[in-house]
Amino acid sequence: MATQAVKKNKPRISKAHLLSHAYIWLLILFILFPIYVVIESSFNPTGILTSGSFFPTQFSWANYKLLFTDPAVPFPRWILNSVLLATGNSIIAVFIGGASAFAFSRMKFRGRKVGLQALLLVQVFPSFLALAAIYVMMERVYTVFPAIGLGSLGGLLLIYLGGSMGVNIWLLRGYIDTIPLELDEAARIDGASTPQVYWLIFFPLAAPVLAVTALLAFIGTFNEFILASLFLTDVHQRTVAVGLNSFVGAQFGQNWGPFAAGSLLASIPLVILFLSLQRFIIGGLTQGATKG
Amino acid sequence: MGAVDALLLAMLLSAVHKHSNVLAAVIALVGILANGVYFSKRTMPFKFLFPGLVLLILFVVIPVGYTVEMSVFNFQTGNVISKPEAFTQLLNNGLTPDSANTSYDMVLGSDAGTFTALLTNPATHISYIATNQAVKELTPGTFKINANGDAVGISGFTPYTPDQEANLDSVITSAKFPMPDGNFIQPQDTSTAALLTQTIHFDAKSGILTNSLNGKKYKDNGNGNFANISNPADKLYPGWKAFNKFENYSHLLTDSNVRGPFIGVFIWTFFFAATTVILMFGFGLLLAIALDQKLRFKRFYRSIVILPYAIPSFMSILIWKGMFNTQFGAVNGLFHTHIDFFDSPWLARMMVLIVNLWLGLPYFYLISTGALQAIPADLEEAAEMDGASGTQILRRIKLPLLLQILSPLLISSFAFNFNNFNLIYLLTGGGPTDVLHNKSAGATDILITYTYKTAFNGSSQNYGLASAISMLIFLIVASLSLWSLRRSRVLDLVN
Repeated sequence: MATQAVKKNKPRISKAHLLSHAYIWLLILFILFPIYVVIESSFNPTGILTSGSFFPTQFSWANYKLLFTDPAVPFPRWILNSVLLATGNSIIAVFIGGASAFAFSRMKFRGRKVGLQALLLVQVFPSFLALAAIYVMMERVYTVFPAIGLGSLGGLLLIYLGGSMGVNIWLLRGYIDTIPLELDEAARIDGASTPQVYWLIFFPLAAPVLAVTALLAFIGTFNEFILASLFLTDVHQRTVAVGLNSFVGAQFGQNWGPFAAGSLLASIPLVILFLSLQRFIIGGLTQGATKG
Repeated sequence: MGAVDALLLAMLLSAVHKHSNVLAAVIALVGILANGVYFSKRTMPFKFLFPGLVLLILFVVIPVGYTVEMSVFNFQTGNVISKPEAFTQLLNNGLTPDSANTSYDMVLGSDAGTFTALLTNPATHISYIATNQAVKELTPGTFKINANGDAVGISGFTPYTPDQEANLDSVITSAKFPMPDGNFIQPQDTSTAALLTQTIHFDAKSGILTNSLNGKKYKDNGNGNFANISNPADKLYPGWKAFNKFENYSHLLTDSNVRGPFIGVFIWTFFFAATTVILMFGFGLLLAIALDQKLRFKRFYRSIVILPYAIPSFMSILIWKGMFNTQFGAVNGLFHTHIDFFDSPWLARMMVLIVNLWLGLPYFYLISTGALQAIPADLEEAAEMDGASGTQILRRIKLPLLLQILSPLLISSFAFNFNNFNLIYLLTGGGPTDVLHNKSAGATDILITYTYKTAFNGSSQNYGLASAISMLIFLIVASLSLWSLRRSRVLDLVN
């Protein structure tokens, strides 16, 4: 379609192209501006972007070194916490959510319709809206089970799991609905039990969408700030988001360089993951808005 | 299943041990249901549903229910404990040293196993034997005295060693020896005690607390506090967590201290969410149209354009925050200026919109491209045959179709930005806030950041009011989402 349009508009090509190029380049400059600044400052030992000169004047690894040596900034620990939370959330969410979605899609039971409608309502409710309630609740849990109460990664993981479960079940159900019914009927005729149908037929078939759900859960958890900042007060328990925010907020001028280095380090894995899987993610976008 | 049972049982025992009845009940219920579901043969669907449902109920449904509950209670700093606890504390607070500051020398010990004190008033040299039940005056000569004339021993009384006293710390601090005249003697440390007068008296019949020092009378105001009968704003603290029906909600509209900031925040939230979606959609669609042509380097452009989408958004926001910094930020550096973007309400708002455009542009570019490609090519051809120009096709055919295809996504993006906590909290913190005029909300605060501040920031925390605002946000977002779901016919699929 695109080529056709261009062919038929031949006389205006140059003008349209010129405008398009100008517009595209304007936006590209806008998009690259902060990325350039952050790369430049991560290698700049003064940490300050000297006004006037946008070209790197000094080069050093000092900012990166600080992140791994300063005991007051347990950056590797923050990354580990974030990765643990995000991985735990994405894997468990896919297994538990997948099972529930399978039941909603393929099984007949009393309360299914009501359950689906309730699910629809629940998944509209962002869990952070109940944050005062969750806080008070987890404060009480802490007095009995410190391991899953306020201030613990375990407790936060449980809240993330619960909070994203509604959306995950909803999205996965939509996908499982599109897998042809004949497949599991055939398996049943061959004598497969329901758990066998689930593990041997659905799980492999749904693998792409399970992977996307897992990836979106991973990115969502990595980016989550509000609950993590409220929950994780101990400096060693923090996630990258909470840790870097308090680090850069404490001494903006002084900590800007190490912060820039830290954001680059923390972003690179996600950027690579994202760019290599962009086809799947973008495909999943039209099903539900996750960001933007 | 065995392992799960063992874990649940251990948790149950520990909960019971720590007297947490609600938690124990929840754990027991989960355990019973889990066993029922996984050992029965007829519950196949629930074997699949159970873990997901438990998580949903525990961490979404119950918190939502609790939010609803909190929103109808006066639950804030000063009104956290239960009424009986608050009442006890009020009476304790009413104990004040008598006007003469009478004090006693004290020896602590046990008398037939009972915590007992021997007290001597150094001014009058009258000695007493005191327990938490009563204080009795001692007849001189029936007890041992030291060089100062203080009572130090009596038959049946064994003084505590310093070690014993150290262990009895909580008993000593909570001890209260009632004098026959209604006053109390309270230990100040392990060797002195003071005479305290009860200045607050409770009349059970009328339910009135009277302060005998200044004669003020206080009555339960039905909203978690005893309040001065002649001046309802004069309340006694601590109060208690009290049911107050819709008072938190009506506060939003009637209490001028709450209403002012709330309405400002409410308007800005709508303005911000709407403007941001329009801006992102406008720029994103134009970009999609520009990149939809045959261009050189198209793939290269594409991968740059979606970069912001791949970078963790909290980092992009913090990076932008640094770039807008007055002294060394790159934006001021670029234009050789020293503008303080964070100090002016309108500059801060503009900054929020610019940063959000940067964050959201890739998403809107992607969905616009998807929608453009979903428009059938023959529609365009037919229009061209009828002699429509390129702009006409765009305005009359493509744009309406695009809007139709994208409206559910535009609405959900509106809902997302309505609650875009990260952006506001990390970039401006809701500021600039007019502290001079004692404002509680900043110029860029949206409802969710304002809720967060109400519930957790600052010296006073108001969970009740925060929950009421949460419910309001939920109603707005839920009706928007349901409306968009209905438009996209998802509801029909359910039925």
